[in-house]
Order: sequence, then C-alpha cells, then structure tokens
Amino acid sequence: MTLAVDAHGLSKSYGALKAVDALELQVPAGIVLGFLGPNGAGKTTAIRMLTTILSPTAGSFSVAGVPHTRPIEIRSRIGVLPESAGYPERQTGEEFLRYHARLFGHSRSSARERAIALLDEVGLATRGHTLIGGYSRGMRQRLGIARALVNDPEVVFLDEPTLGLDPAGQRQMLELVQRITKERGATVLLSTHLLAEVEEVCSRVVILNRGRVVAEGTAAEVARQAAAPRRARLRVAPDCTAPALAALSDGGKLSAAELRPGELELTFSAEAVPEAMSAEALRLVLGADIPVLGFELEGGRLSDAFLAMTESA
Amino acid sequence: MSAIAARPLKRAWPLVAEQELRDLWLAGRGLPLIFGYSLLLSVITYLVATNTALNFLEQRESVNLTLQVAVAVGALLVLLGAADAISGERERGTLESLLLSPASRLSLVVGKGIAALSIWVVAFLVTVPYIWFLGRGLGVVGVALGNGFLVGVLLALFLAGLGLLMSALSSSNRFSLSVALFTLLALFAPTQLPGGAQQSWVGDLLQRIDPISSGLHYLGKVIVDGHSPGQELSWLIGPAVAAGLALAAALAASRSLNLRGGPS
Repeated sequence: MTLAVDAHGLSKSYGALKAVDALELQVPAGIVLGFLGPNGAGKTTAIRMLTTILSPTAGSFSVAGVPHTRPIEIRSRIGVLPESAGYPERQTGEEFLRYHARLFGHSRSSARERAIALLDEVGLATRGHTLIGGYSRGMRQRLGIARALVNDPEVVFLDEPTLGLDPAGQRQMLELVQRITKERGATVLLSTHLLAEVEEVCSRVVILNRGRVVAEGTAAEVARQAAAPRRARLRVAPDCTAPALAALSDGGKLSAAELRPGELELTFSAEAVPEAMSAEALRLVLGADIPVLGFELEGGRLSDAFLAMTESA
Repeated sequence: MSAIAARPLKRAWPLVAEQELRDLWLAGRGLPLIFGYSLLLSVITYLVATNTALNFLEQRESVNLTLQVAVAVGALLVLLGAADAISGERERGTLESLLLSPASRLSLVVGKGIAALSIWVVAFLVTVPYIWFLGRGLGVVGVALGNGFLVGVLLALFLAGLGLLMSALSSSNRFSLSVALFTLLALFAPTQLPGGAQQSWVGDLLQRIDPISSGLHYLGKVIVDGHSPGQELSWLIGPAVAAGLALAAALAASRSLNLRGGPS
C-alpha cells in the first residue's frame, strides 16, 4: 500500500503545552481522510507540521514519499488550503493564481492557462478579473482550493474549508473535495467539523483529541470503537410491554427499561458488541412470540463516537 | 483539466520582486507615499528658495538642506515599506500561502527587500528637479545628485535591512513599525548634538558610527564645503558597514522565517 502521508511520533510543544503528542498517522494514497477533533485538538498544528510550515519538536514524517528533511520538495508536491487563509484584496483572482502558479515553476503563459482552468474548475470563471476584495467568503474558499491545486498536487490538505459557509456553500465545497480525489487521483486530508458530511465523503477518519489520535479507521469502524454505551429503541404493542421486559431480562449484557407503553429503551454494556446485542435482543423478544413493531440502534453514528471520544479523553 | 508541466523554480526572488513591485506601485501604497513625499519636498524647496532670495541661506546650503531632507525622508519611506513587508503579510493572513510555495524563505525576503528599495529610487527621481531648480547656475547639481543618490542608497539598504529584520522577527505589524521607527529616531539623535559636542572626539565618533549622521555629514562636506568625495570618503564607512550588517542580519533571519514571528 502506497502511503501519501506517513508520520511517526510527530510532536509539537509550545513550552509545557503539547499541541501534538506523538502523532502516528498513515494515510493511504488516493483517499479522502477526515481529520477530526474538537477545537484545540491539534489538527491545524499537525497539518502545519505536515505541510512544513512548522518544525516538529520530535518525530519524523514523509508526504508523497518525500521525507520531512526536504521541505521544499514536499511543498512542491502538496496543495494546502490553510485555516482562515488571507488573500490580497487588491489582486484579482486570476492574478493571484497566476502568481502562485509561477512560484511553482510555471512559465508566464502556462501560469495564465492554469489560472483560467482552475477558476473554471472551482466555478469562478466569470469572476477571474474581479478584485479579491469583492469576493464573498465562499468565493474566497473556492479560490483557496484553486490555489491549492495550482501545482497539480499529489496530496491536498484542506483545513476547515467549510468554515463560515452556508449549507449550500458547504455542499459545493464537499462536492469539490470529492472531485479532487475522483478526477485528479489526489489524496485529500480534510479537517472539518461537519461529521455527517465526513461520513459521506471520507474513506477513512482520524479523530484527534489533545494532540493524540484517539480513533482511526473507516467511519463505521470508528463509530464502533466509541466507548459510549449503545442504546436501542424497541417498539412493541402497548399490551406487550411487560412481556417484552420480562423476555429481555435474560439478556445478560443488556438491560431494558420502559419509556412509555409500547416503547422500550435497551442499553448495552460497554464491552458488548452492539450488533450482536441487537440480534440477541430481537431473538429474545421474537422468541417470546412478541411482534416487533420497530427497532432502532442508537449511538452508532460517527458524531456519537466523536463526542464520546473527545469528551471522555 | 489538462496538466501543464511546471519546471522547478531555481530562483524565485525576481518573480517575488516583480509581484511585490506591482503590488506596491500599481495597487499599493507606493504612489500615495511618493505623492506625500513630493508635497513635502515642494514646501521645503519653496521655503529654502525664499530664504535664499532673502540672502538668509546660501545657494549651496539650500541645495544641501533640501537634499538631506530628501535622503532622510526617502530612507524613512524605505523603512516603512520594509517593516511592513513580512509582518504585514503575517497580519493579513497572506504569509502562509507564500510560505507554502516551494520558493525559499530567502527569495521571499530578497524580493520584498527589492520592492522596498524601489521606493528610494522613485523618491530620488522625484528629487532631481527640485535639486536642479535650487542649484541651477552653481555647478553643484551633478555632485549633489550623484552623492545624494549614493548616500541614499547606503541608507536605504541599511533601513531596508533593519525593517526586514524587524518585520521577520515580530508577530505584529505595529510592533515591527514601532521598533523600526524608534531606532530611526534614535539614529537621528547625534545630528542634534550641540556644535561643541560634535567637535569633541566622542561626538565625532558618534557621528561616524551613526550611519544617518555620517551620511548627512558627508553630503554637507561635499556640497557646502566643496570637498572632493575622495577626501570625505571615510564618512561613508559607517553607512556602508551598517548597510552590510543590517542586510546580513535580515538575510540570516529569513532562514527561520515563520508564521508566528520570532525564532521557529
């Protein structure tokens, strides 16, 4: 498996404060990785180290196969949309992209071609000659993505690209992220707080808390790793509530309580496998000849895992 | 989209300088600063010319005084440009994009330094007609302009280096500008020493060490006293050494240029 990002023991300290603590991160090439964590978890610091903007206090890493000891080479192979990036207000979008394309080694004419193509790709084709000072927040973010793609990067780091965008803008941004991987084959490391969208867009997720990785895997795997007790809602006919409670009393690692007539809440113990417990609960109830009107497993979403892992750590 | 091959950029500083010059003179503060500079020079020239007409001031002295103001203010503008160059980008959030490019930190600082130095070149061009007007018929215009440009270049190099150093190290634009301006004011102090103190060996040493005092002193000797530049060349050692040291310090600081300011 080719790794786009491979970090070992990566740490960054500011005095006594450990912003990132011995980060281990392996990102396979060609995927969208959701890089999650609460504010102050160390996501931006980790991204800044991986993009060679900050020097690590300890540890080593490589990006696109280039070791961290060759920062200029790494920068030539990555694209970055920094968190809260600023833009020169008195340049037009096209001028901005042309300049950055030339910094990446494009000739004057190819930089112009590249700028026009990228503006078109991010939906700013008609605003290329407008001063950036007149751009909306969403347009600036799209311009930032275009800048990140100016060198046709192998790995793209997007730090909060949806920050401050309305739902439509967030949707457009996530579609753009998907296109970067599908059409360009680039690896994307996406730092965001939009957990529902992460489940949709990201092949894998990493949850960071207080500078450490607390979970990683696919969204489903991470959701399963959450230490929060799983709950389920079981609906039966109101007159079957008591028999259902009686049947479930033999459940071992699960307990049941009546919420209201016909609706029971099942709680699984922390060490139980939720899917197995769900099956066991249904087997017990159906085994007692009680018709099941509804069953819904709670606590199996990425957002639940996120909250459980970042609140308890 | 079609991939357009890019070649690795070997020297980014000409490109950075080109963009910085464009930003400064086409979209930035360059023209307003030079407009203010020319207004100031007009007022000074008017006052000096009036005093000369009333025989309060000799013509050579009027040329020297105006040139000294032009050199000092021109160099101050260079300092303002340089002190804003990096910390300004840092505050506006645009530095990170530049640091993320494969251009070396040194290229970024050199490119920005060139843009700051261009302020002195333009300021000097603006000064030429004023000096010509004040010195016409005296045979001193060429000497005044040549030596004024030389001293101005040395002081501009010194203050560009100082401004870039402050700008690279400080996290706040305000701090960078304040420290640079305070240093500049401190450097003007020896020019205000009383005549007796200036004649003493301490005063002489202070004036020679201080690049601004020694540069302006050199201009006075060459323009007013009519000494040859070779005779007074020792007065340019201070500005030349200061320029070299400040530029070396700025270039050294560029190696650790980072997002927050201070050492990386």
